[in-house]
Amino acid sequence: MINLRAQHSVLLVFGLLLITLTLSAHAADKKPNDVLLSTMQAELDRATAELGKLNPAPYFLSYQVQDETIAAAAGGDGALLSSLRTRRRAVDVITHIGTPALDNTHENSRPSAIHAGSLATEDDRNAIARELWRLTYQGYRNAAKAYLNVKTQTAVNAKEEDTSDDFSQEKPQVHLDYTAPAPLPNQLQLESLARKYSARFRSYPFVYLSAVLISVQNSQTHQINTEGTRLVYPGQFVHLAIQAQTRADDGMDLMRVETFQADSLGNLPGEAEILSKIDKMAADLKALRSAAVAEPFDGPALLSGRSAAVFFHEVLGHRLEGQRQRGEGEGRTFAKKIGAKVLPDFLTVSDNPTLRKLNTIDLSGGYEYDDEGVPAQAVDLIKNGVLTNYLMARMPIEGFLHSNGHGRSQSGMIPVGRQGNLIVTSSHSVSDRELRQRFIEEIKKKSKPYGLYFEDIEGGFTLTQSQLPQAFQVLPVMVWKVFADGRPDELVRGVDIVGTPLTAMNGILMTGDKAAVFDGICGAESGAVPVAAVAPAMLFSEIEVQKRGHSLNRPPILPPPDATVSSGGKGGQQ
Amino acid sequence: MIRMEMKLAGLLLLALAVPSFAQEAMPQEASGDPVLHAMLAEMQRSKNQLKLEGVAAPYYIDYRITDTDRYWYEAAYGAPRGELRTRARFLRVVVRIGNYKQDSFYQGGQGMVEIVASDDDELAIRRKLWLATDQAYKSAAEALTEKNAALKQLTIENPTDDFAHAEPVRLIRPLVKLDPGIGSWAPLLREVTAFYKKDPQIETIQSSLSFEATNRYFVNSEGTIVRTGASAYLIVAGASTQAPDGMRLERSTEAVQGEFKNLPRPNEFQKQAEAVVATLAELRAAPVVDEEYRGPVLFEPYAATNIFASLIGENVLGKKPALGQPVRVQGAFATSYLSKVLPDFLSVTDDPTIPSWQGEPLLGQYDVDDEGVRPAKVTLVDKGKLVAYDLGRVPIRDFPASNGHGRAPYPVNPPGPGLGNLILQSSEPVPAEALKTKLIELCRQRDLAFCYVVKAVGPRNSPRLLYKLFTSDAHEQLVRGATFGDLDTRTMRNDIVAAGDKVRVDNLPAAIPHSIVAPALLFDELEVKRAAQNKDKLPEYPPPQLSD
Repeated sequence: MINLRAQHSVLLVFGLLLITLTLSAHAADKKPNDVLLSTMQAELDRATAELGKLNPAPYFLSYQVQDETIAAAAGGDGALLSSLRTRRRAVDVITHIGTPALDNTHENSRPSAIHAGSLATEDDRNAIARELWRLTYQGYRNAAKAYLNVKTQTAVNAKEEDTSDDFSQEKPQVHLDYTAPAPLPNQLQLESLARKYSARFRSYPFVYLSAVLISVQNSQTHQINTEGTRLVYPGQFVHLAIQAQTRADDGMDLMRVETFQADSLGNLPGEAEILSKIDKMAADLKALRSAAVAEPFDGPALLSGRSAAVFFHEVLGHRLEGQRQRGEGEGRTFAKKIGAKVLPDFLTVSDNPTLRKLNTIDLSGGYEYDDEGVPAQAVDLIKNGVLTNYLMARMPIEGFLHSNGHGRSQSGMIPVGRQGNLIVTSSHSVSDRELRQRFIEEIKKKSKPYGLYFEDIEGGFTLTQSQLPQAFQVLPVMVWKVFADGRPDELVRGVDIVGTPLTAMNGILMTGDKAAVFDGICGAESGAVPVAAVAPAMLFSEIEVQKRGHSLNRPPILPPPDATVSSGGKGGQQ
Repeated sequence: MIRMEMKLAGLLLLALAVPSFAQEAMPQEASGDPVLHAMLAEMQRSKNQLKLEGVAAPYYIDYRITDTDRYWYEAAYGAPRGELRTRARFLRVVVRIGNYKQDSFYQGGQGMVEIVASDDDELAIRRKLWLATDQAYKSAAEALTEKNAALKQLTIENPTDDFAHAEPVRLIRPLVKLDPGIGSWAPLLREVTAFYKKDPQIETIQSSLSFEATNRYFVNSEGTIVRTGASAYLIVAGASTQAPDGMRLERSTEAVQGEFKNLPRPNEFQKQAEAVVATLAELRAAPVVDEEYRGPVLFEPYAATNIFASLIGENVLGKKPALGQPVRVQGAFATSYLSKVLPDFLSVTDDPTIPSWQGEPLLGQYDVDDEGVRPAKVTLVDKGKLVAYDLGRVPIRDFPASNGHGRAPYPVNPPGPGLGNLILQSSEPVPAEALKTKLIELCRQRDLAFCYVVKAVGPRNSPRLLYKLFTSDAHEQLVRGATFGDLDTRTMRNDIVAAGDKVRVDNLPAAIPHSIVAPALLFDELEVKRAAQNKDKLPEYPPPQLSD
């Protein structure tokens, strides 16, 4: 997912930009005369009455409209690659036919519930009503067809293991918040940031490829359903992603990615901090190019807080999503494990989307309502090492009949259980200094010459791309050998974690006492959603790694263009 | 023998080009243009130095940068639905290893694509060129090995070269820009799509515009340096409805011009669009076509261009068949060289050198193709006989050289044979009235009470506007739900008996800007039958009431 070849990654970044770009005024600060809401309600009422006469009739309908304005700019090598401003109103019409116990969304036919489109970007009642009508009857047809198939399949197939309902009953929510998000920044300001940050890489000619993508997204969500939910709320999300890539002499591509999230441009880290992060990325890449290639290893490991956060998000968090405990196609790692010990008893894992900040750091996985209109809730997933809950959307699983406000998706996709702010806490924590001490003791105890310190791990949620694999992979990028005999730490590259990472989690011995935050965008089957993961540093008794496979393509034959003049056009590698 | 001489000439040209290129610090064409400057600087570096040990140096390199500025706007149901302005520069780098006879242009060796800075930042552009060239060279080396391995498994009956020689071209045209008035059409599009208020049975109605200014830069290692620009202004309006029996009916219309000022006046386009959309009401009321008809059918120019484009236009492209296939070209005319493909009175040319036809602007005019070759007017079909193909720099049997028709469908695609201005001409043009008289006469001869006139066709050559023309009194009746049973290249060859004197110029901006020109065509035998399409259900409930 992020281990892409250089030329593709930039295209993907650009592709993301091109999806929807429009110039227009941003969403108006709407007050109670909400034409959009009243038109949605009128059409929903009409659909309920009219489709209710049919057989099969829908028992649930919802409309969710996301009025989004996006401003974004992408830079590379100090120049602008692309710049855009867009406005659109994306609408998702959700239809459930049958009964909550068995409906059109059963098993693999979950997507049959959604029919997506675009609405007029102006409050034109006729245009909005007309489009909603069309999407509703078309959505009904898809759902009705799927429902017939579901009924046949259920009659033909053997009884499933989990016989839970297909759709949960939830209390209606009414909340109308017309607060307008801060106006979008000037486009020139974004462009100049993209240029400025990407220009920093000009000082590092060995960074072959770099890209900076900055985007600001303002939204106003309208959601109503036939249960009586009526929600209007604003959102603003700022995302800065910086990617840099080089290649070692043996052909191994080396990449560093930094992402920053905030609720407004002003709340992003300051310029000095970002530039110093870029310098660090370049310094890391330079060090990685000359670092030794990792050898197979099995022994103690120390994960920094940031690495542990990514590790928990990818390895644990995704496997606690409710829908993964049900369905023949799922791994169901944690199905039926409620009450069982799955982690050391000093660890507690929760997901709390109601938090917007941890101390002073923004948490990007916060929200008030999920994409099914259910209020966000703090959920203890693992309490003192014992599994207690899952990340639930409105698809029930055995023993968990309700959503806990984690049904999330991007527009056009059907929500599933997803993480918000995943928070790992520990009751067995020591200072950083002591943790390192205990790490070295553990190395000696295991009679190993060294252990591995994972300074940074990249996962599937550092950058999001359009096609996302179902496997939630972790990719260690900054890994150091820490020697038992006190030699200085040594950077290695090409580390690949093998074995079952979940098993490794049971060997966590203790943690640090400071929580680190990783903010990012997470991609999965319901699309890209902003998330955060929070964890302290962790000492693992054992992690197994191997050498990562890589291309054998050499570094560029000619020196970079800017170096040509001074090197007198000499070829060769630098 | 001919090929040998050509090759020698090419080598000589190359030999001449190399020193002149190396001596010049920077050709004057590049002055004041940072994009060209960057391309030439990296070309020079790559030509002189790009070489891996144990791998041959490239024998050919080209850089193509396509700079597009696009404005898009869409309205539906009388309100705006989306708007977009985007600017991007796409780079395509091709590196060929081997020689003109046999090279690495195969699978992964067909070039690298990048997005380059849209700022005029020479260094940033050069860095992308540098990396893309490096990757293209390495991929070419791998591709050549793969290709040689594949060739060992095959017997090649009629070997043709992989790449044609071409004379270097130097041409710098002014850069083009989008017209500043592009925003002025938005209100009209909204008005056009408000038509559903007059005909509430319209289910979908939308209108969009796509205005694009494209500047193309092309530089190759043979010394070609080209910069050309072209614009395309497209406005489309379309609507759909359902007949009482559920049959889905669609109509659309468009205006396409290379220059903004040549677009119709807004109120003219509105009239045109409303006239087309209004036919949906007539179509709904029209009877479904009879079960089967075999007899004369007249395609009016508006419909004739579509069938001409798909049945002839797509088959005159000299696309080299896949490795090892013995035919001359891909497509329906694979074995039709020097055979009859149309009746004797019809000829076809592709002439990208002309800007207009009978006073109508053509979109398919260009100075240099996407492989840096100047286009030639090509007679493709001469008095019914297929005598040539549109060709890029990939030779096919008996055609060793490009005729300047190597065109890239999108900035990231490799160029290949593509249409420019494809013109169908008759040596015996018949005025419209006489053509209709002839149609009726043919029908009478066969004791048919009526025959068919096609005024518009949609996708897959399905008729959108089809009329019964009654032989008794020449009155017309609109019908719906028809399809042509056997409209193919064979019918084009055997069954056209006359062509009109007035043509329609159909300008098509995507994916390669081109034009199709054709007169009305009269077939003396064609099958018209009821389409086997499934009828959709009517909407489950009525549309919302209009409010003020």
